Amino acid sequence: MDILIYGTINSVTLALYALGFALVYGVSRLPNFAHGAIYVLSGFIAWSALNIFGLNYPLSVVLAMIITALIGSAIYQFFLIRVRGMEISEIIASYAIALAILEGLRWKGFKGMTYTLPAFIDGSITIAGVSVDYQRLLVVGAGAALVGFLWFFTHHTRIGLALRGMAQDERAALMLGIDSDLMALVAMGLGSMLAASAALLLLPLGNIVVESGYNVLILAIAVCIVGGIGSWAGAVMAAFLIGFAQILTVAYLGAHYQMVVALLAIILTLILKPSGLFGQQKELEERV
Amino acid sequence: MVRKRSIATLMVLGLAVLSLLLVSSARAAGPIVLGCPLSTAFLYGWDAERGFTLAVEEINAAGGVMVGSEKRLLKMEVIDTRDLEPGVPVSEALLAVEKLILDKKADFILGGPVRSEAALAAMPLLSKYKKVSILTTGVLTPKYHAMVGEQYDKFKYCFRIHGEATNLVGEIFANFTQLKEKYGFNNLFIMAQDVSHARGAAEIVKKVATDKGWNVTGLEIYPTGATDFSLGLLKAKDSKSEIINIWMDMPESAILLKQWYDMKVPALPFGSTLAAAEQPGFWKATEGKGEYTLCNVVNAGNAPSNATAWTMKFYNAYTKRWNVEPEGLGTSSSYMAVYVLKDAIERAKSLDADKVVAELEKTDLMGVYGRLRFDPKTHQVIPATDPKEGAVGSILQWQAGKRVVVYPKSIAMGEIQLPPWMKK
Repeated sequence: MDILIYGTINSVTLALYALGFALVYGVSRLPNFAHGAIYVLSGFIAWSALNIFGLNYPLSVVLAMIITALIGSAIYQFFLIRVRGMEISEIIASYAIALAILEGLRWKGFKGMTYTLPAFIDGSITIAGVSVDYQRLLVVGAGAALVGFLWFFTHHTRIGLALRGMAQDERAALMLGIDSDLMALVAMGLGSMLAASAALLLLPLGNIVVESGYNVLILAIAVCIVGGIGSWAGAVMAAFLIGFAQILTVAYLGAHYQMVVALLAIILTLILKPSGLFGQQKELEERV
Repeated sequence: MVRKRSIATLMVLGLAVLSLLLVSSARAAGPIVLGCPLSTAFLYGWDAERGFTLAVEEINAAGGVMVGSEKRLLKMEVIDTRDLEPGVPVSEALLAVEKLILDKKADFILGGPVRSEAALAAMPLLSKYKKVSILTTGVLTPKYHAMVGEQYDKFKYCFRIHGEATNLVGEIFANFTQLKEKYGFNNLFIMAQDVSHARGAAEIVKKVATDKGWNVTGLEIYPTGATDFSLGLLKAKDSKSEIINIWMDMPESAILLKQWYDMKVPALPFGSTLAAAEQPGFWKATEGKGEYTLCNVVNAGNAPSNATAWTMKFYNAYTKRWNVEPEGLGTSSSYMAVYVLKDAIERAKSLDADKVVAELEKTDLMGVYGRLRFDPKTHQVIPATDPKEGAVGSILQWQAGKRVVVYPKSIAMGEIQLPPWMKK
């Protein structure tokens, strides 16, 4: 039972890390290597709103999500738009932005282990003999709600449908009058907001540290590669695959090997099915 | 004409010699450069830097260091080694040390590198450049002073002024024995970070515990950056462990302690180099969930106690200077390292590395955390449980929002308490 419960929590955590990255790549084919940095930045924005400006917690959270979305859009509008379509340049530019954000935070004194956000719900519950805290249950619930929201947004709203159109065939979408750059801008904003959502749900479990930005990026990339880069459904599936594999590894092999699981999953995917579980990008090469 | 030219030439030569002498005397009067390779973004880095700064400011305000017949000021040069960050290669730390020596012209190296792996790798470098180094923070591996003992002539420039893993294990077991006698504890679960000192210490704890009749219920090694400890905690709970011995300096250890509290695991978290719990801000950061956590801050003075007359004097001076109490491993030892070096230089009357080494070996100074002496064969500070005898350690427990020193008995300010869900 503990494996089932904590496997689910771990899987949803990974899905939350990856959703924003998958969305941005799916729509704009932009590998946003600043994703982890945006995750950390949103945590510090909420912390500052709460502790420096004295706002209440819900308002701080909402504000952090909005500001993060705006920052994500600004990153696209002022930096990434110039290198769009040049894959290597996109990676270098977005990674440089990540470094600037993370090292900038460190330089401004956001270091140490005492930056924390309070849990939304304190306390714990015992489910079938396994003790779980409410915040982790909230992570699972909110994670499921976010995936549901994304599905609804992309299937039943004009902007969402436009995003899907872009993701499916950019040229056809352009012929239908969809503004490619505007959609990429929206995707970056939405992807950043998803990163912020993940941060604001997960950071109360521990503390806000700059270094976690790199970890989040690595795990998000691992999930997206296994799921098929750009596929949201694939990302969710891969999150569960890696999440449970990690928990089983901890339970039966030792905690020591849990980071290896994600990296091994990348290697195996690239060898066996480079397009990932739900990816279509390399199907032709794979068939050949 | 020829004579006039000869006089002019002699005058020019004389002036040149005089200016050379002036330059060399000006150089001699320059500050003594202390090169500090530290991982400054982490507790064990910034607290060491603050400790050094405070000592340097105090010494300079009092006129500096007497080298032979002249007073010289101290100057610090700090380079961020980043060696506490996950994935940062040891070579980065080595580059920092070499830059301090070659570029910043450091006369002495104080502080780090902070990670054991990096400090061990830096030893040949210190030997190559004949730079006296005093480790003051982070590095706990017993291998460091063992290497000095094994190859004295090569590594004689390396000293360590803070406690090391073997001492820490001894101190921890003194407490375990006390808990065994008082509460009948016998089951021990160990959680360690996947870094050299922590892995090594965890293995030593496992072996010693087994030899001493403890039932070691598990040993889990977590990669640096791990964010979920639930299964390990459940294992501890299911195996009816009464103590969880934690060896982690990564920030994510705060997650472990919060999970421990939320899951109400009936085992006392007993950490060593548990950086997250060492800091005064830990209570607020965990909203009090860290209560009852024990951690070894390695040397007295890193938490309030009356170990020596100098302890609270240092404690208050640090708090006044930095608006925060001394935070953890590396604070009092870094502060004292500057005074110990000053003392050795003044006795050596020189900055010559071999002369300073000889004087450091003769150090006998009552400092912030007791009597400071180095083992002349291994250059490890001599530990003790009585500050009158040697360098004392310090184990604290979080009680009602305060860091209360509970070990050693000679300096204890309180006793170990159990969380309510552990009381029978």
